[in-house]
Amino acid sequence: MTTYLVGYTIIGLIVLFIVFSILVKKKIMFGNTLGMQKIFAHPLLHYSIRRIGSALISLLLAIMVTFFLIRAAQPVETTCLNKFAGPHVTPELFELQCNAWKEEMGLSGSIFDQLIRFFYSILPFPKTLCRTDLDVNSMQFIVSDCRVFIIDLGKVSDYPGVTNGTYVIDYMLPRMMTSFKIGIVAVVLQLALGYPLGVFMAKYKGGIVDKIGLTYIISIDAIPGVAYYYIWMAILCGGLGLAYTYSSEDFSTALPAIITMVFTGMAGIAMWVRRFMVDEFTSDYVKFARAKGLSENRIMFTHVLRNAIVPLVRSIPSAVIGALLGTYYLENIYGIDGIGQALLQANNYKNAQLLQSVVIISAILSIISFLLGDIVTALVDPRVSFSSADD
Amino acid sequence: MAKKDQINTDDIFRIVDETVPVEETIEKNVNDLFTVVGTSQENVEHISATPYSYWRMTAKELFKKPFVIISLILLGIIIFFTIFGPLIKYYPPLKIVGDTVMTGDRFGEAPYYIGPSADHWFGICGSNMGVWFQGADMWSVVWQGSRLSLLLGVTVAVINTILGIVIGAAWGYFRWLDPILIEFRNFVNNIPTILLDILLMQLLSSYMKQYGFLIIVFLLCALGWIGLAGFVRNQIIIIRNREYNIASQTLGSSSMTMINHNLLPYLISVIVTVVSSAIPAAISSEVGLAYFNLSFKVSDGDITLGQVLTQATKGIAWMKHPYLLIGPLVVMVPLTVCFFYLGLAISDATDPKTHR
Repeated sequence: MTTYLVGYTIIGLIVLFIVFSILVKKKIMFGNTLGMQKIFAHPLLHYSIRRIGSALISLLLAIMVTFFLIRAAQPVETTCLNKFAGPHVTPELFELQCNAWKEEMGLSGSIFDQLIRFFYSILPFPKTLCRTDLDVNSMQFIVSDCRVFIIDLGKVSDYPGVTNGTYVIDYMLPRMMTSFKIGIVAVVLQLALGYPLGVFMAKYKGGIVDKIGLTYIISIDAIPGVAYYYIWMAILCGGLGLAYTYSSEDFSTALPAIITMVFTGMAGIAMWVRRFMVDEFTSDYVKFARAKGLSENRIMFTHVLRNAIVPLVRSIPSAVIGALLGTYYLENIYGIDGIGQALLQANNYKNAQLLQSVVIISAILSIISFLLGDIVTALVDPRVSFSSADD
Repeated sequence: MAKKDQINTDDIFRIVDETVPVEETIEKNVNDLFTVVGTSQENVEHISATPYSYWRMTAKELFKKPFVIISLILLGIIIFFTIFGPLIKYYPPLKIVGDTVMTGDRFGEAPYYIGPSADHWFGICGSNMGVWFQGADMWSVVWQGSRLSLLLGVTVAVINTILGIVIGAAWGYFRWLDPILIEFRNFVNNIPTILLDILLMQLLSSYMKQYGFLIIVFLLCALGWIGLAGFVRNQIIIIRNREYNIASQTLGSSSMTMINHNLLPYLISVIVTVVSSAIPAAISSEVGLAYFNLSFKVSDGDITLGQVLTQATKGIAWMKHPYLLIGPLVVMVPLTVCFFYLGLAISDATDPKTHR
């Protein structure tokens, strides 16, 4: 009861805050109070609200399209037959198991019913969920482990390596953490290596490092990703003898995957840094600084670098948050049990609930990362303002 | 005061006096150096600079780079072997006796890994490679695969480029289309691409089994054009508001004139870049699909480079027997890198700003 109260209070407060800030912005309330205007009519706040609003539409579309695609591509009856039919299964048991499974996956009833129930479960307000286990001996359902959720992503059942009725979020979070642990190390190293490389390439444009770097960037763009990952695997695991399967106990087994990620992502970062720097070098303020007699290093580090850093800062939040979602090929190649693997496995076992959850999670994360990117850009670059055309 | 004035005027006169002989000497020297040739009607009409031709300058600019010639030669070799490779040395890639596939009997019991030899230039497909490949000649398999990969690459690239340029141009030109397509792009970005591919593949292959090639083309084109369209849109928006276009519009140019004379010539370089990078991109995407078994069905006899690579790297046998990996890579890497590099070089060369 208390959790419900807290949940509804928080949601109510958020809605009230948004309504209040819009009213203040339109000068219906506190139109003349400067302090209120400064806080609640801040352009960044209203830009964020607008952005989330439009992002929610595309989020809703994405979720609905996957919802219908899953149901069209993986017919329920076929999946049921593959899963539960067997020589020792009586028709009654099959019917019972199949119906229970459909109920858990949200696949029972007409497609319209399913859609309504699906939207009910993902709408953000508190709801209680319980485990229901079918006891085969007594043919009865046992209810246990009730919890309150804001967004109900459903449960995993009839799935290898997972106890029946585990909540999706409990299944996802450890996998997300695995992906994140590996991804965040790779992202930090990418930035730490890619940025200086790009600066160096731009500074000595046309030099030997620049030429080698450009060749490397071109080959990374051109060579098919899978082939490229195998080349690195041959070098790291075949040549240097690193482990070729990841085990969760020993983090050093993630090294080949991390190195591959670093060397792939580094090239992209270096290319963008170089491009921005080279563009900035031809701009008027650099010519002016040169004419005034500033040293090349001073121009480089106090003027050009600051301007060239802005477009890159925008990509940092999405890189960090993207680390939560993992990679598909590398996780598959090295057997890392992250989100990428979870998605593929969910498809193999036709788990509609998990597939939808991955889409919801990745869509929400991408909205957050876009928004954070904009906010960080505004913080770094004083020239950016978020006032729209109608202001 | 008066004294000073006198001195100044004296100085001025002295300077003027001295300049006269200087001018005379210059005139003398000029007359020594040059002779008057007179006027001639023919010479007046003659233009001494070579006439500018856009495509000739493009070709000249292009072949200045040695790597362009190298990649053209490499691409020529690969395309030659793709067409004639199986004719030069051909072992049927799939050993089919009657209705059943016989595997492995040529080389005894599995596992067998037989490296390159005079008879089998790329070695023999190892026993890790699945029923349809085991025991086949790698050379034959690889060139068979590059055939379909190239065909697929070119088809997808053509479709993607046409879609990308037409939609991208409309996207950039009509302002009302902008929010719709941006929202569409966001929506597509929200769904993991691999999931969309998997679901579409399952959906399509259950309804139209016999059109394998069309399904793969559809998968690669369904989302492939968005990136290209976004790129073209950005270019159009950048040049749409340039001064020369605004001036042209103000002077009363029609939309057709604007597009034909102002926008399209500028976009040639962009279009060429898009076309030439679309081929390696399509080949790469197929490799990605093949990794998740979303590509052609090998059981239908359709082999691509992606499938060869995926099959060859099954298990960890390829680390002990690297020829398994090297075989497909020897074709795949030069193919994609050369196309990609040529694309960059052509886009540089077709940019009129580099024509000097």
